[in-house]
Amino acid sequence: MRRAGNYILLTAIALVFVGPFLLLLSAGLKPSSQAVFSFPPDIIPRPPVLDWVKEAWTVIPYPRYLLNSVIYVAVMVPLYVLVSALCAYPLARTSFRGRNLIFMAILSTMFLPGEVMLIPRFLVVSQLGLADTFAGVILPGLLSAFGIFLLRQTFANVPREIVDAARTDGCHELRIFWHVMLPASRPTLAILAILGFVSVWNSFIWPLVVLKDSAKFPIALGIAYLSGVTGTDVRSLAAGTIISIVPVVVVFMLMQRHVLEGMRGAVKG
Amino acid sequence: MIVGRIPGQRWFTPYLFALPALALFGVFFVWPAVTAVQLSFLKYDVVSEPVFVGLDNFVRMASDPRFWTATGNSLLFLVGLFPLLVVLPLLLAILVNQKLPGIRTFRMLYYLPVVTSMVAVAIAWQYVFNQQGVLNWLLTGAGLLDQPIQYLLDPFWALPAVILVEGWKSMGFYMMIYLAGLQTIDSSLYEAARVDGASAWDRLRHITVPLMVPYIAVALTMEMLDAMQAFTSVYVMTRGGPQDATLTLGYYIWSAGFEHYEMGYASAVGLVLWVVMIGMALLNHRLTRGKA
Repeated sequence: MRRAGNYILLTAIALVFVGPFLLLLSAGLKPSSQAVFSFPPDIIPRPPVLDWVKEAWTVIPYPRYLLNSVIYVAVMVPLYVLVSALCAYPLARTSFRGRNLIFMAILSTMFLPGEVMLIPRFLVVSQLGLADTFAGVILPGLLSAFGIFLLRQTFANVPREIVDAARTDGCHELRIFWHVMLPASRPTLAILAILGFVSVWNSFIWPLVVLKDSAKFPIALGIAYLSGVTGTDVRSLAAGTIISIVPVVVVFMLMQRHVLEGMRGAVKG
Repeated sequence: MIVGRIPGQRWFTPYLFALPALALFGVFFVWPAVTAVQLSFLKYDVVSEPVFVGLDNFVRMASDPRFWTATGNSLLFLVGLFPLLVVLPLLLAILVNQKLPGIRTFRMLYYLPVVTSMVAVAIAWQYVFNQQGVLNWLLTGAGLLDQPIQYLLDPFWALPAVILVEGWKSMGFYMMIYLAGLQTIDSSLYEAARVDGASAWDRLRHITVPLMVPYIAVALTMEMLDAMQAFTSVYVMTRGGPQDATLTLGYYIWSAGFEHYEMGYASAVGLVLWVVMIGMALLNHRLTRGKA
């Protein structure tokens, strides 16, 4: 009995978190003959059709936006993980002058709200000639205090014996980093890659500020742009939004068991 | 001791490893931060030459009603998100920390809004908040409402609606933080308490909450940061309206800078927000330190 009650409660809460997405799905699958809004709500599409998904795919530039997002993810995620790992390695494993200063400086960026930096960072990026370029979107996103913090914790826990053994074999630092540290930290690297993927895929504010040319928009910005353009049908907008959600949900579902471990590591540190 | 000077290592090796991160830090954090401080003493509209105006931007803030509206709304965000992001996720975490078949699926469903973009979330919630949407249907059906409300266009309801969506979107993330904490608690504590006849409420109050203080502190700090910089949710749902009802400090900075081209004033507001946020983080650290 208790167990049944538990499942009823869990399901009711799940409905709260999934409900709005189901409404979105319903709108994207409704045929033209069925109203999107009605009182009482008419949620089940009769019959469900893929017309609007097709429309979203062909008529408006979703493929372009999706391709852009794929490019941003493919470039940014590996680089951001690599930059974090490179910086975290000496912070975790060697003592050198300025070590704490560097760590504190990078950690302090966590408390720097993006909104505060928006304007001055835009001016800096413009001065560098990177406004309205892919590089202008990508470069400022490569430094992650969270990534450095998390990897520093992980690297510090790699057993000393393995590193010493590698060193006795004559490995220099870069080899130890690449052939010992990175393989030993695979779960953390995976978490960072997922979190990076999610945040790059959903990025909105910074591309909004940097980009003028809508042909360079990532998917989330593209959808926001289209929702403001008159003549975009609600149904095709809903279908396009669903298309934008699917990749990130699939990646997350495949990798989700790593996330909890990652959070544990981050908070405990 | 893991950390130590490595024999034979050249002195500059650690700096070489840190170089890419340090370069990015210099160009995209230090340089903009210095620029922000400079800008806050200037009048600069991007087109004409910047003019030094001393403390004018800060003086103007004090008598700017929109700045105070934005401050008030940001504080309402802070208060409104507290139950949604600090309290409720702890209860959710306790619920999904049970050993039940399929519990992982429920965790994932609660986490779903976290991995979707705010833009997609805003579009999905249109179907809830619309005049002919689900919320009006439920409330009128239950007899709680005579007339359907246009939530996002109503000066009274727009802010609570945006706060609700913001909380709904992030709740799963906070739940995961708490869940990570709950899994470090030794279950024998609960068994001992049960033997002593402690009720569920007693166990929550005397075991769970005290042991979760470090996690509550993390959640509270993050909630403050989230609330004070609320921007994307406002941008995609209400654009600060109606009648500035959802104008937050984050949105006001963006609007002053990129809609009105008042870069100096926007930077000054940004600096004030930054100082307030650091102050809040320190205050929270002091309040929760020693209790952990």
